[in-house]
Amino acid sequence: MMSRKLKANMLSIALSLLTTIILTSILLLAIGKNPLMVYSMLISEVFGTGYGLGQAIFKATPLIICGCGLALCFQASLFNIGAEGQLNAGAFAMSIAAYTFDDYLGFGVLPFAIICGFIVSALWGLIPAFLKIKRGISEVITTIMMNFIALALVNYFLIDFIAVKSTVRTEKILDSVFIPKLSDFFGSFQGSSANLTFVFAILLAVFLYYMLYKTRFGYEIRAVGLNPTASKYLGIKTNKIIMWSFLLGAGITSLVGINFIFGYKGYYEFGFSNNLGFTSIAVTLLAKNNPIGIIFTAFLFGVLDYGGLAVNTIVPKEIMLVFQALVILSILAIDKIVKIYYLKED
Amino acid sequence: MDSENNVIVEYREVTKKFGNFTANDSISLKIYGNTIHSVIGENGAGKSTLMKILFGIYSQDGGELIVKGKPVKFKSPLEAISDNIGMLHQHFELIEDFTIFENVILGSEITNTGVIETKDTRKRIIDLIDKYKLGLDIDNKISEVSISEKQKVEILKLLFRNSEILIFDEPTSVLSPVEVDEFFKIIRMFKAEGKTIILITHKLNEIKELADRVSVLRKGKLVYEVNSNELDLEVLSREIIGPMEVTHLTDERAGTDYDSELLLSFDSVSVKKDNVLKLNGISFHVSSGEVYGICGVEGNGQSEIVDTIIGALKISAGSLKLNTGDVSLVPDDRIGKGMIKEFNIGENVLLREKNVTHFTKKNIKETSEKVISEYDVRLSDSLSPLASLSGGNQQKVIFGRETGLDNKMMVLVHPTRGVDINSSAFIYKIIIEQRNKNKGILLISSDLEEILKLSDRIGVIFKGRISQEYPKSDFTFSNDEDKHNFMVKVGKAMIGIE
Amino acid sequence: MIESILSLTFLAQVLRMFTPYYLGASAANFSERGGVINIAIEGFMIISAFGYAFFTLTFGNPFLSVFMTLILATAFSFLYALLTIKLKINQIVTGVGFNLLMAGTAKFLMMFVYQSSSNTPAIQPIPGISLLNSIPVIGKAAGDYIIIFAFVLIFLSQFILFRTRFGLRLRSVGENPEAAETLGIKVRLYKLYGVLICGVLSSLGGMWLASNQSSFSDGMIAGRGYIAIAAMIIGKWKPVNIFFACLMFAFFEGLEITLQISGSFLPTQIVQMLPYVITILVLIGFIGKTSPPAADGVPY
Repeated sequence: MMSRKLKANMLSIALSLLTTIILTSILLLAIGKNPLMVYSMLISEVFGTGYGLGQAIFKATPLIICGCGLALCFQASLFNIGAEGQLNAGAFAMSIAAYTFDDYLGFGVLPFAIICGFIVSALWGLIPAFLKIKRGISEVITTIMMNFIALALVNYFLIDFIAVKSTVRTEKILDSVFIPKLSDFFGSFQGSSANLTFVFAILLAVFLYYMLYKTRFGYEIRAVGLNPTASKYLGIKTNKIIMWSFLLGAGITSLVGINFIFGYKGYYEFGFSNNLGFTSIAVTLLAKNNPIGIIFTAFLFGVLDYGGLAVNTIVPKEIMLVFQALVILSILAIDKIVKIYYLKED
Repeated sequence: MDSENNVIVEYREVTKKFGNFTANDSISLKIYGNTIHSVIGENGAGKSTLMKILFGIYSQDGGELIVKGKPVKFKSPLEAISDNIGMLHQHFELIEDFTIFENVILGSEITNTGVIETKDTRKRIIDLIDKYKLGLDIDNKISEVSISEKQKVEILKLLFRNSEILIFDEPTSVLSPVEVDEFFKIIRMFKAEGKTIILITHKLNEIKELADRVSVLRKGKLVYEVNSNELDLEVLSREIIGPMEVTHLTDERAGTDYDSELLLSFDSVSVKKDNVLKLNGISFHVSSGEVYGICGVEGNGQSEIVDTIIGALKISAGSLKLNTGDVSLVPDDRIGKGMIKEFNIGENVLLREKNVTHFTKKNIKETSEKVISEYDVRLSDSLSPLASLSGGNQQKVIFGRETGLDNKMMVLVHPTRGVDINSSAFIYKIIIEQRNKNKGILLISSDLEEILKLSDRIGVIFKGRISQEYPKSDFTFSNDEDKHNFMVKVGKAMIGIE
Repeated sequence: MIESILSLTFLAQVLRMFTPYYLGASAANFSERGGVINIAIEGFMIISAFGYAFFTLTFGNPFLSVFMTLILATAFSFLYALLTIKLKINQIVTGVGFNLLMAGTAKFLMMFVYQSSSNTPAIQPIPGISLLNSIPVIGKAAGDYIIIFAFVLIFLSQFILFRTRFGLRLRSVGENPEAAETLGIKVRLYKLYGVLICGVLSSLGGMWLASNQSSFSDGMIAGRGYIAIAAMIIGKWKPVNIFFACLMFAFFEGLEITLQISGSFLPTQIVQMLPYVITILVLIGFIGKTSPPAADGVPY
């Protein structure tokens, strides 16, 4: 039996997608384009070719990973707006560990670099957590500020000390430690950059789902997110939960580096994230902070991302940025409207 | 005084309901102009609701309200204010970061093309301060002044708005004895000027000192009215408390032979919260196999006792001994503190059982069903979130959860507040059962009847300490008369007289 | 190095860089004084910078373009108010969404209308007051309407917030909406006013940047919307203090540019991150105590 709450969730997701499609269509009509043509081209380009699908998967992969990290924070009602900074700091560290030790460790460099990246991101996330617990400072402002600090610091160390001459990237890792591409297993993905990180991202989402919805730790995180006062009276150590959610959530965002460094380019490049940390907020909220849902919403955004390129011949690909923003705003609005008029809350 | 044309406010069979709860039940009440009229009653008797109708915060569901001869139905406080009615709320409606001047004028500013006129307005306010000897500096910020000064600012707001009918909702609960005297003087000045004062209180001495006429509310009904010249405090106390039902005490202990182990002891404990002393050297103890009941008017330190036990507040002096592991807790605010309302029964129970690390579907369902059957919880779907349950059923779930933990010590705060009669009876049964299992129970309640029914010893809390303690023998009654007398005695201790 | 900092040119530059910061910070302040957090200042600046470029390229008349852009920004403000005040949606999340929407829309339209992902064609700046413009060195700044307005705004916002009925009520709504309501103040209406003023002021900031650079380019706002919020926090929600905070940030920016040109001991990235580091230090309480409006960010 489907609960009313679940039905309401489904309803609001469906309605907000519909609203977004309508609004985008109006925009397209206003600039003299046929929306149906744009949508059909997008669908045929993405789903009609193995390459297109692969590219959508490739774009979705970091969104799933970063979304999972954010979901962990959001479930604890921690508005981590700082993923952009956290993931850049972590991925930067990951790439340094990777190219420095790939000679010595061989494939072992992968877990080693992952751990290094994770620790750096987690520590970066620990600062706002600590300020919140000890000083009661809202994590929203601190994480926003720390985005800029992280990017400036990474930029400084990269440009002044580490970057390959006259580039903004680190040294490339050995070809032998790259992660296999999906096309190595499924020929139809030929040419796309989708790699095994995607499988890892799915496993991560499943694992996080299990953790959040089946274990004590997850229940405590959600309890603190829903009602911190009651949690305290129920004997939950709320500060500990806040700290761990932030630490793990921020740490997980660093794992997007696997896709880019080990699966795609082989190095960290300044600006690689391209607002990933912000787009992931949209992906996560659209999925109602549910990691399994994130797989689907991230895929939707991946489709839009690559789809934008695919329809670029008839309409600028940037239309998808508008589409993505509209999705997030309409889910926020419609969710509330459904809550008021369908669930009669508020 | 009793001449009919002097009636300034009249309630005619006014009824106000909140859902199924009738807060005011067909109340007819006359308030005469230029008098001090006191409305008295226990917590939840309906006093505040009655006044909020007059001030336009609530609208009556039935009956008529007549102010200065014309029927009114205020939709907002603004309408009441424009009829020269002012209300001093129990909770101050002040803006901490504003100066006294800004707080006073807000909403009734005198302006010159949008710019606030200060010179004349300041003078007017300063004159009011001088006239009533309020002793305020209008340029001080609210955050810098004391509680009694805040109250004076609220009074100043009423004066600035030319209020003629002044409603004071338990005005002295926040004041020290000296401040109370000052406050009385101000009230008398108001009366001397022809204003009408409605005073909500449950302090008998205030009525004796100030009121011209007293109306007693009990369980939403007007039960007694008297003029001050015929006032008898004993009679008044009885009317406030009401007739006694014969209590069926089902508390015969299973075995008389239990070992009394000291579980919890507060030894001269002082606790500060936001730098205000909330527990002031409080001492009491709870042993296994007994219910220790703490009764008192709310805000005398009850919630701080609980917060101290769970470790949310630090002790500044004295010592607290807890000779047991975890403590089971039924907090005062069910939804805010007692549960995660979005979770279902099983999830709420398992959340409290620290040794459970995995929340499987099967586990959650079984736990839910166990509590549902053992504690007679009524609901349509065993896995629906707790928010969808009635108050009584939510409380049963919390009791089921906390007793199930099998901790030696239980702390229960207002265990039957907002709970229907059947659920209350069931909850009483559980409490007695638990005590008979040799648990130590700390029962905190403002319902004296409940305390008498369940406790083995009673402590009265007043201003952060136990002011009186009574052994069981003091409240084992042979007749209703004794019980009445005892309750009046405790009632007086609760409000600090004698 | 020191000479170049002490020069009049440098001073003129600082005064100019000050303008968008102060407009943005003032914008944020009006909104937060009414209890609505708006982290979409960045987005409002982006869409307004683009809007001004678009309208001047389309209509030619700079003043008409300013007017049109203000209407555009106000429309977005109404939408923001609808979501945050009427529907009471979380203000931070809405702000993030708005930033994505406004940045995305500007990028899309730039690509669509001007077929460029980097910048629009050159535009006409907002004309200045020619008499003042002719003053040597600082003339360009002294004769600029928006710069003049930014400086007037220091006193104007102080006056509005603390001397007028509107300001008193706006602040009361941000501090304690329940109390304001009991005194008959229309809480949501005042919140709306705050958000609308916020939209207009941040829009002016965005337009000035486009006008100053004589084009709109991708990334030109470069976090100024966030720095503006930082300046408001450091300025403790007080117009005059915010002025000093903005002046400090403008000085850092001027310094950064000077350092880039002259090269020096201090890496520019470190200078870039100073505003944010200082903000966090202020929040921690190392630099005086801060307290935002008591009901800031709480839907009512």
